Amino acid sequence: MRQIGFLVNPFAGMGGAVGLKGTDGLLEEAKKRGAVPLAPARALAALRLLRGSDIHFLTCSGSMGEDEMKEAGITTYSVEYKAPEMTGADDTRNACRIFLGHAVDAIVFCGGDGTARDVYDIVGTHVSVLGIPAGVKMYSGVFAITPAAAAEILNTAGEVGVRDAEVVDVDEEAYRHGHLRTTLYGYARTPYIPERVASSKQVFEQPDEERAKAEIAQFIAEVIDGTPEVLTLLGPGTTTAKIAQVLGIKKTLLGFDAIRGRELVAADLNEGGILALINDEKKWRLIISIIGSQGFVLGRGTQQVSADIIRKTGIKNIIVVATPYKLSHTPVLYIDTGDSALNASFGDHIQVISGYRIAQRKRLFQPDY
Amino acid sequence: MQTKILLDEEQMPKKWYNIQADLPTPLDPPLHPQTKKPIGPDDLAAIFPMELIKQEVSTQRSIDIPADVQDVLRLWRPSPLYRAHRLEKHLKTPAKIYYKWEGVSPAGSHKPNTSVPQAYYNMKQGVERLATETGAGQWGSALAFATMLYGLKCTIYMVRSSYTQKPYRKSMMQVWGAECIPSPSTTTKSGQAMLAKDPETPGSLGMAISEAVEDAASHSNTNYSLGSVLNHVCLHQTVMGLEAREQLAMVDDYPDVVIGCVGGGSNFAGISFPFAGDKLTGKHRDTDLIGVEPASCPTLTKGLYTYDLADEAGYTPLLKMFTLGHDFVPPSIHAGGLRYHGDSPIVSRLVHDGVMRGISYHQSEVFDAAQTFSRTEGIIVAPETSHAVKGAIDEALKCKKSGEKKTILFNCSGHGNFDMSAYDAYYAGTLVDYEYPDELIKESLARIPKVP
Repeated sequence: MRQIGFLVNPFAGMGGAVGLKGTDGLLEEAKKRGAVPLAPARALAALRLLRGSDIHFLTCSGSMGEDEMKEAGITTYSVEYKAPEMTGADDTRNACRIFLGHAVDAIVFCGGDGTARDVYDIVGTHVSVLGIPAGVKMYSGVFAITPAAAAEILNTAGEVGVRDAEVVDVDEEAYRHGHLRTTLYGYARTPYIPERVASSKQVFEQPDEERAKAEIAQFIAEVIDGTPEVLTLLGPGTTTAKIAQVLGIKKTLLGFDAIRGRELVAADLNEGGILALINDEKKWRLIISIIGSQGFVLGRGTQQVSADIIRKTGIKNIIVVATPYKLSHTPVLYIDTGDSALNASFGDHIQVISGYRIAQRKRLFQPDY
Repeated sequence: MQTKILLDEEQMPKKWYNIQADLPTPLDPPLHPQTKKPIGPDDLAAIFPMELIKQEVSTQRSIDIPADVQDVLRLWRPSPLYRAHRLEKHLKTPAKIYYKWEGVSPAGSHKPNTSVPQAYYNMKQGVERLATETGAGQWGSALAFATMLYGLKCTIYMVRSSYTQKPYRKSMMQVWGAECIPSPSTTTKSGQAMLAKDPETPGSLGMAISEAVEDAASHSNTNYSLGSVLNHVCLHQTVMGLEAREQLAMVDDYPDVVIGCVGGGSNFAGISFPFAGDKLTGKHRDTDLIGVEPASCPTLTKGLYTYDLADEAGYTPLLKMFTLGHDFVPPSIHAGGLRYHGDSPIVSRLVHDGVMRGISYHQSEVFDAAQTFSRTEGIIVAPETSHAVKGAIDEALKCKKSGEKKTILFNCSGHGNFDMSAYDAYYAGTLVDYEYPDELIKESLARIPKVP
């Protein structure tokens, strides 16, 4: 029987309905504006679709999980964390600590980006994490598309894979003022069902994530080996980390690291560091991956790369990498450098390296918000 | 308003056209993969019958089609030439569009034009079994058909991604008595080595060729048969262009543009060589000969013109051709028959010399064109063929802009009746537009064997 930690952030998503663009720190204001809890219903929608009883849930009391279990008619659960009436980020973290102490196989939570961040703080990559979407903002990659999709993943035991998923931190204060500022917070592990497009007996399968990353990394490593004089700035992400690994270099997961051939030149560079470094260079390139479930190539989670750096580097020296799975879930990619003329200069399509000597042509949009 | 232009059976060509006679200088010879010295007939005798080896190097302009082969070809030849009135009207183009329809053959494509003579010459030499590779299954089913006619056994190594995508091609091979094995397989040493290197590989034509060549070389009763690339295959396919030239003459026309899709090159060679010959000999100097390839495997448009192996494992001679590198595994596009790293040495040479040219398209745009064609002319074409359709439509649209009344001929090489899963993917919006990142790959091509 699988042991799964389950928690609900009952207040997630309340701010959105009343125009607050997030609920972090504004719960009272949301309530004052007439917001009602949304997350319990989303959690219930997922729980009601679960089949069989090979899961034992470890959950929290009251609306943080127990109430939803009862309402869904689930009996195979135990309450392991007693939640106060007014729950907050600390309760999410405490519950996760307890789940990990019970050696759960995975943790399922219902909430938004803020909840994902709180879960990730404690869980990291120890066990896989799956989000039932209920928040105002869901830029993190740990969320299933819908509560039903989350249930399907839980029902498909034994056939699911595990992939890396960005946990993205959104600056809510800036967001309320119309600016989406996201920072890559970390990489969690999340279960997923490998893509299958089946029609009659004909099935196409995508390579799994690890294989796809290895193929991309092998190709890019060959490119770097073939041009040992060129400085390469490797952006954040597990695909770029895999490239570094193939080259025998240890890379910071969330930072921009500079390498030349198989040597690390500088790690975790900020904008100033990158500018100082390229100032003396004749030729350099940027290798970046797609950030977040929204498909941002530049501008979200890659704040180290300013419009100035992109202009100096030149679009043709920017290599974008992403696995086929990621690309199949992001039909359109976005560029948001903060400079609309620069955004436009990328054109309508962008080439993304998706395998060994293979690229995909993806449509590119520049968001107007 | 004539739609079909038909030749009588008596008007079917009695000779193939050998363009090697009209090349200004001879082709660069194939080289032995180990010694890097030009190979001779003896090097090929282990896997090919002598008549085909002679055709491979012949510079005689016309080569007789054996009467027995003509008898079989008459089952569907001469194939019809269509005037695409409805497509022209839909496009509002002043251009005239003609297409040679090869889907009328038993296997549903142009491939039997060469599988039949290849099986025939092998049978004449006492060979009992043929081994071959197939990409999308068009060639495999065509050879299965031909070997059945001449009482030969046939083993077909089918690229694994197509084997699962196109199960009904496999069924056709079975109906005609052939054995079909997904490649890479565990039945050959090269297949085992490829699987050890990558158990999940989708396979490629290059890999499947290695397996088939190994099978033929290691069994004394078995020869190898190749569905494209080689000179004798292009030679056999010239029946299409020869017929088309006659059919156009019947309506007092001659093409300004000739278009075919390009994987290994024989389809394009077959439709275009007679017109390329007219160009080389000065009869019609301005014909635009266009080979259309997938952007994911753009051999003519982004490859290097150099000596490279024709297969993955290195059993074949080195051929001077446009290549993306023999170890390149093209992405699993639906036009499986165009997934080949190299190209016919003759087509490559003519492109290199500027007699022909290559263009490339993405997968989704060729399906747009295929849909337009199906909704105007009725025929649902194979994904490979849809590349030629797209090329023809674009040329016709250029004429619409310029007002030119060009005559466009394209080879409508096969039907897509077994490719409906590809159309399903198109309508589901899940087609992926693959590209070949040529700038980044330039370094990788350094792996091609160096020829002194």
